[in-house]
Amino acid sequence: MALLTVKGLTKSFESTQAVNSIGFTIHEGRCVALLGPNGAGKTTAIRMLTGLIAPTSGDIEFHGIGPGADRRSLIGFLPQVPAFYNWMTGREFLIYAGRLCGLSAKEAQTRSSELLERVGIASAAKRRIAGYSGGMKQRLGLAQALIHRPKLLILDEPVSALDPIGRREVMELLRSLKLETTVLFSTHVLHDAEELCDDVLIMRAGRIAVGGSIQDIRSEHRQPILSLEIEQDEHSRKWLQNWLKTPPAYVKTYSALSGGVRLVVDDVNAARRNLLAELVESDVRMTKLEIGHTTLEDLFMKAVTE
Amino acid sequence: MSQWFVLYRKEWLELIRSGKLIWVPVVFILLGASQPIVSYMLPEIIAGAGNMPEGTVIELPTLTASGVMVQTLQQFGTLGLLIIALISMGTVSNERLSGTSAMILVKPVAYSSFVTAKWAAMLTITAISFGLGYGAGWYYTAALFGSVSLLAAAGSSLLFGLWLGFVGTVTILFSTLLRSAAAAAFSALGAAALLSIATTLLPKALAWSPGKLTELAAAQLMSGHASGLWPVVSITIISIIAALALAVWHLRQHPSIEAV
Repeated sequence: MALLTVKGLTKSFESTQAVNSIGFTIHEGRCVALLGPNGAGKTTAIRMLTGLIAPTSGDIEFHGIGPGADRRSLIGFLPQVPAFYNWMTGREFLIYAGRLCGLSAKEAQTRSSELLERVGIASAAKRRIAGYSGGMKQRLGLAQALIHRPKLLILDEPVSALDPIGRREVMELLRSLKLETTVLFSTHVLHDAEELCDDVLIMRAGRIAVGGSIQDIRSEHRQPILSLEIEQDEHSRKWLQNWLKTPPAYVKTYSALSGGVRLVVDDVNAARRNLLAELVESDVRMTKLEIGHTTLEDLFMKAVTE
Repeated sequence: MSQWFVLYRKEWLELIRSGKLIWVPVVFILLGASQPIVSYMLPEIIAGAGNMPEGTVIELPTLTASGVMVQTLQQFGTLGLLIIALISMGTVSNERLSGTSAMILVKPVAYSSFVTAKWAAMLTITAISFGLGYGAGWYYTAALFGSVSLLAAAGSSLLFGLWLGFVGTVTILFSTLLRSAAAAAFSALGAAALLSIATTLLPKALAWSPGKLTELAAAQLMSGHASGLWPVVSITIISIIAALALAVWHLRQHPSIEAV
């Protein structure tokens, strides 16, 4: 069931268009990654969803809330750099956040204890936030976003600023969270998206370049690939150079590898037969020939650089 | 409403934790008490200075009790005003710059509650500090110069307190409009000074101006009644409401600065 539909969402600042008429739908229970290089407009898009920036034009529609209801009550948000009142303790901030979301004093307290435990900072709960490390602040930020059991959890680059261990731990947390609620998070690391998400939206220069479920995208954009590596003797290198000057018709694109070439082909069987024959005929000293498929990374690179 | 109290309680807690709830009243009490004491001691201080030529006769005007109270009010009108601007100058802009306003305003929090809770906290600390400081001034004046009627003192304190509250509100408005806290304090104090000066220069044209409140408070002290009171009070209250509305409106447009 659709939870959120976005249509024609646009934000222009004085001279630039940060987000240019994007549209997508988020279904309940899915984990969605907003993927793209830095400056693609991810943060601006996310801030419009949370209401922190007013869109220049376009619609954001949450399903299942009455007209005029505050959509902020459905959203839990963790900004890229969460900021806190440093004079509060972690526990105080959570209770404050919970009370602001309409929990009773008692609910806010039990929920805070529960979440402090869950994100693993229960032992620091009574310390001032001023003394927290970056990783602890990120966890506290996650806890405050979850305090009112939001229907949609929005996270802006949740792991970018963390060291490898903190990153692993937050990813594990997200893995368990996505079973409970709908998650939208932005990242510029494809690997994170692949690891956790059901759907991806790849943004580039304010537009959505590719969007859909990871499986669909993978199978739709999957192309066979041949990687060939050769020994670095004179004869073999010359042959490869000449061969690439007029590549056969089955080669769609190619790129250089260290000591070889990577070919994207259309008919993998023809390509295999033909290439092997040529290698034998010209007596090329091949060291490796691998047949595989384009990865999501290839697609990502293609989508963001094209 | 309970959400508003949660916000107000946080502001209150911040006043306590940052120590403002201690030092601001202490400074006001010192200001209020020092004026009558210094006025009382002045002849002795001058005599004790010892570098006067032989036979110098210094004639100081005889001070009335209400005159001393008016001087005390003038102290609050300069240093007191400065302190109120200083403690309120970052109240919104600091939150917007640090990003905490973004953390809070993505929750279902009314923008008006966010601003008015801060405003109410500013009024609370102003009322406490000024009340204590003025009370101290009143006490020492009564002890050293003779009593001032409680009614006149209370009436003038209400008028003067309204002026302090007005300047505090303007500071919060500028704190919302501007990025820099220092610029907010400067603008608010500048606006207050301009308003006061303009009111003194053009008493007829600006008979309704909030800048007249200090004058009215003094008149209340000296003569026990202030004429032309209600237009000024109503205009001040309306301006306070308008300033708050403008602050709320601006915050709704730009909940956080780092977002842009």
